[in-house]
Amino acid sequence: MKSISPLNGVHLVGDHGNFKNKNSDEIINIKELKNFKIFQIVKFKKNKKNINDYKLSGLDFPDKLRVSQNNDVRILWIGPNNWLALSAKISLSEEIAKNLSNDEFAITDLSHSKAIIELSGKNAKEVLKKGCPINFNDINKNEVVNSIFNGIAVTIDFINDQPNKIRVMCLRSFGESLYHSVTDASLEFGYKAI
Amino acid sequence: MLYIKCPHCGLRSQNEFAYGGDASVKRPELNKEISDQEWDEFVYLRKSPRGKHLELWHHVSGCRQWIKVLRDTSTHEIFNTYKSEEKVG
Repeated sequence: MKSISPLNGVHLVGDHGNFKNKNSDEIINIKELKNFKIFQIVKFKKNKKNINDYKLSGLDFPDKLRVSQNNDVRILWIGPNNWLALSAKISLSEEIAKNLSNDEFAITDLSHSKAIIELSGKNAKEVLKKGCPINFNDINKNEVVNSIFNGIAVTIDFINDQPNKIRVMCLRSFGESLYHSVTDASLEFGYKAI
Repeated sequence: MLYIKCPHCGLRSQNEFAYGGDASVKRPELNKEISDQEWDEFVYLRKSPRGKHLELWHHVSGCRQWIKVLRDTSTHEIFNTYKSEEKVG
């Protein structure tokens, strides 16, 4: 069975909005990230061990609002004792089975339940400022926030800040609405859908 | 617009939160015999004070944790916020 990506019907590759006479670094690049393995990992209250005793793919579980990452995996803090692990390269389920016990953690495969939009370009933060109440000036590389964008609950993962590269994740069913909101906010800068 | 300092995430817009009611209401003890009136008071009756009020808020679009907020209901000033398990006063 072939899987259909959440933004399959709306992500139209090409240049859009006010892109004419602009350098490539001035416009926003918008990409849909597909085929990611995504697992939510929740440490049980009854598990009294310190989270620093555990590793996943060689990574520590990050402290609040932080991200642990290597070339294969990103682990995002999304709440107290609550993380999201993402990978497009390795089999996360095997890695999790090797490192984390079902008696100590609640593990849920969310791989097909999230829409992920990646924004890059120097104005990427300006786009997000239009719909999200977070103070983006205080947020740096490898930090993560859960917030809202035009009323849609999103997880915003700051991959890089030189230049800006930001992933915005939401529930799959809100993906098309989020995509419309984000692309609408990008029109003034011009955007390239990749 | 209120800004609420989530004890887990820091200062956030009220848009990310949902109001959860009076935080000082205590559920009757488990397995304790209580009258219909006591049960009615626990389920339905709430005070509506003017001034300092300890409230529950849910950081529903953030860390998804319930927190307690000490807020003035007339000025909306927020004096302090607490984790749900923290004892207040």
